[in-house]
Amino acid sequence: MTETPVDTARQAAGPAPPIAGRFVGGSEGYFRLVWRRFRRSIIGMIGLVLVVLLLLTAVFADFVAPMNPKESGIAFAPPDAISFTAPDKSLTLRPRIYPTIETGELDQVTFQPLTGPDYDHPHELGFFVDGADYWLLGLFPTNVHFFGTLDGSPVHFLGTDKFGRDILSRGIVGSRISLMIALIVVTITTTVGTIVGISSGYIGGRFDAWLQRFVELVLAFPQLPLYLALTSLIPITAPSNVFIAFVIALLAALGWAQLSREVRGKTLALARIEYVRAAMAVGASDWRIIIRHILPNVISHVIVVVTLQIPAIVLLESFLGFLGFAVKPPLISWGLMLQDTSSFSVIGSYPWILSPVVFVLIAVFAFNALGDGLRDAVDPY
Amino acid sequence: MAPPDSQFAPPERLDAGSNGASLLLDARHIGVRFKVEGGFVDAVRDVSFQLNKGETIAIVGESGSGKSVTARTVMGLLSRRATVARAARVVLDGEDILRFSEAKKRRLRGNRISMIFQEPMSSLNPVYNVAAQLTEVIHLHNRIGRRDALKRARELLEEVHIPEPEARLLQYPHQLSGGQRQRVMIAMAIANRPDLLIADEPTTALDVTVQARILNLIKELKAKYGMAVILITHDLTIVRRFSDYVYVMQNGEVKEHNRTEELFANPRHPYTQHLLGSEPRGAANPLPEGSPVILDGRGVRVVYTLKRGTFLKPDYFKLVAVDGLSLALHRRETLGLVGESGSGKTTFGQALIRLITNSEGEVFFDGEPCHDKDRRAMRRFRARMQVVFQDPFASLNPRMSIRQIVEEGLIVNRIGANGRERLERVRRALRDSGLPDNILSRFPHEFSGGQRQRIAIARAIALEPEFILLDEPTSALDLSVQAQIIDLLRKLQDEKGLSYLFISHDLKVVRALCHRIMVMQHGKVVEEGPVAEVLNDPKTDYTRRLVRAAFDIAA
Repeated sequence: MTETPVDTARQAAGPAPPIAGRFVGGSEGYFRLVWRRFRRSIIGMIGLVLVVLLLLTAVFADFVAPMNPKESGIAFAPPDAISFTAPDKSLTLRPRIYPTIETGELDQVTFQPLTGPDYDHPHELGFFVDGADYWLLGLFPTNVHFFGTLDGSPVHFLGTDKFGRDILSRGIVGSRISLMIALIVVTITTTVGTIVGISSGYIGGRFDAWLQRFVELVLAFPQLPLYLALTSLIPITAPSNVFIAFVIALLAALGWAQLSREVRGKTLALARIEYVRAAMAVGASDWRIIIRHILPNVISHVIVVVTLQIPAIVLLESFLGFLGFAVKPPLISWGLMLQDTSSFSVIGSYPWILSPVVFVLIAVFAFNALGDGLRDAVDPY
Repeated sequence: MAPPDSQFAPPERLDAGSNGASLLLDARHIGVRFKVEGGFVDAVRDVSFQLNKGETIAIVGESGSGKSVTARTVMGLLSRRATVARAARVVLDGEDILRFSEAKKRRLRGNRISMIFQEPMSSLNPVYNVAAQLTEVIHLHNRIGRRDALKRARELLEEVHIPEPEARLLQYPHQLSGGQRQRVMIAMAIANRPDLLIADEPTTALDVTVQARILNLIKELKAKYGMAVILITHDLTIVRRFSDYVYVMQNGEVKEHNRTEELFANPRHPYTQHLLGSEPRGAANPLPEGSPVILDGRGVRVVYTLKRGTFLKPDYFKLVAVDGLSLALHRRETLGLVGESGSGKTTFGQALIRLITNSEGEVFFDGEPCHDKDRRAMRRFRARMQVVFQDPFASLNPRMSIRQIVEEGLIVNRIGANGRERLERVRRALRDSGLPDNILSRFPHEFSGGQRQRIAIARAIALEPEFILLDEPTSALDLSVQAQIIDLLRKLQDEKGLSYLFISHDLKVVRALCHRIMVMQHGKVVEEGPVAEVLNDPKTDYTRRLVRAAFDIAA
């Protein structure tokens, strides 16, 4: 037999017939092994930490966001710089900002009111400060925010949009809708994809042949025109939550096919493997074989696909949102925020309104890194 | 107390300098270390060997002994995760080839040293025809024209005795049989008249009757060109017949080396003695008189309908895998089903226990008809008929613990009133299979091939069946493990009164285990009878070839 290094490693302990001595120390299940391999991937761990932070941020968005995302102030105010100096250049220990105010002058060309920092009334910053009222987790009324100004006055670390709303707070609160869409869509697509894939691969025969033609049909659909056409079917007066449900249904309806293909392929191979035959030989039912033998062996693949599909949906949502087809106000999502950036002159004058792109980038990177790390850990060779 | 290992394996050969043979290759202190999950594994430790011009040495050992890694070190073909020990030297004609630059090593490979591998299908490139692959090797090391290279390729194919070499040149690997592919590999290997040919298990993937021919070809070419050959194998009969000098490896170390006759006549290291003593031996215990028939198959026929042709013009044809076979297996009897790959023996076996649906014929189990039952109705028979498969790595679900694996049949068949009772049966099955019963919560990847096969046997006997289908249960295992499994199967048969249908291509194992034997070829039985009769006095030409391949290599 030809030894690959892996074989050698596995058999290095020797196929010694008296076995008893070898069984000392803890036994490791499959997921323990995966976790051990995953921990060695730095990128994967960064991804994992970021994903956890992102999810926590989304859940506690109102707490993390320094301001009420719907409160408006000065439009297109530039980001407030955190400063450690007083106006007289002396150092202060408490970080502070100099809020943007209208200076009372008008632009000579456009006659817009000019804005500038107000050096006379600095707002000191701090953690766990009182601010806008909200319901924590929808259960407890409170007004404590993770950070903000001590006196509860407005602060815009990433500036404001055209209605004067805080972009940072909107981005943080918007992560809820963006991630929720992605999670719901991916939950549906993986469930449907796995069920379709396993039944197609396991039952096989004519059922498989016809089901796969249908899967091909779904795969072959030109997705983008379809999204645009179908979203324009929804009445413009529909409430925003109906609209979002429709978008989710649409993304899910077109997203499951690829995964079902992959799961089917794995199932086809597994259905012929010897341990499945052995289970048939002891008289196990199809249901038991699927649940106990096939599903556990495809699930690792599915988990990897899930983590790689979430960023794809986040991107798709931001893209559709940019075109105005995903989320409607008053809901907030990253895609919707990017809609404001559609004009060149706006980007030229107020570049900070592009900052939702950073949220999308972080989310996409986090899930992709986690997915890559997981894939390497699940299937290292 | 065991003597220190170096005692029987000094770095120098025992016959160094005798017969005026001149040294071709002198390898000293080869050590190879692999980086693995959480540390290092020393796959090879301080291995030294020498090879004279025109001579064959064999490196023998079981899987994991480091024999292939040693050969790859000589070829410079180790993976990136391997590091070779500092002290290692491989001197070929006065030059240390381990310290060659990559370019210089490339010039060496395929030219002065070449190698043939175990699996000829994966060693040949499927998208090129034979001519392209052969001329590529020739062109790599020679400056000759296309026409000359093609002519040389043709000559090479003639030299390896491939029929109709002209036609083969234009064929692709998948159009050749396994033996022909290995011949093409050999042709590629000898294309540049190497001084040294490394043959890494060259016949393991081939059918028994083909093995002897390939080995004879290597021997013939060796004599013709005065090549030296390093033969890596686990098969002692091959070693005995084809090598001049033997190195025995275990756990990455040379345990003993000697001239072939000396080693076989007088093995000194305990491991060598163990290895030589692990040829399958013994015979099945005599069958009690008048034992009733337990499994009765009559005219079993399995036909697959395959489609060829295009989508618009489909052309269905029938492949007869098993052609109307009958068999009657008695209680406590072991019936050997023998044949080369593709002879339909596995299909026949699985049809008999209805894992495959037969198209025609009747099957009776203990007098009850099975052929008319569907899967659900077959369930009440399942506990009484069990199966053990060939590949111990594929037959255990990697996500289930040993307890779950062995217990599954009990749960499915509602055997045992409660968990405690089932657990007791699982423990007993493990003990009966020669395993400790404290491995319940472990997972299959923690076990070696032989241990896994024991777990598979435990899964089968936990149900206390009356009949077990053994589908090549020993052919993926090392020789010494093979012998243990055979002993175990024989012991279980005696204790529990089991009946076996034993599918194998290895007549040595069959002789050690079976009462009767059926020889299959192309879905038909060509010969059957008591084991001694068929093996000692084969009636048909096909059986004679099988017998010769299994036992006569040693002669």
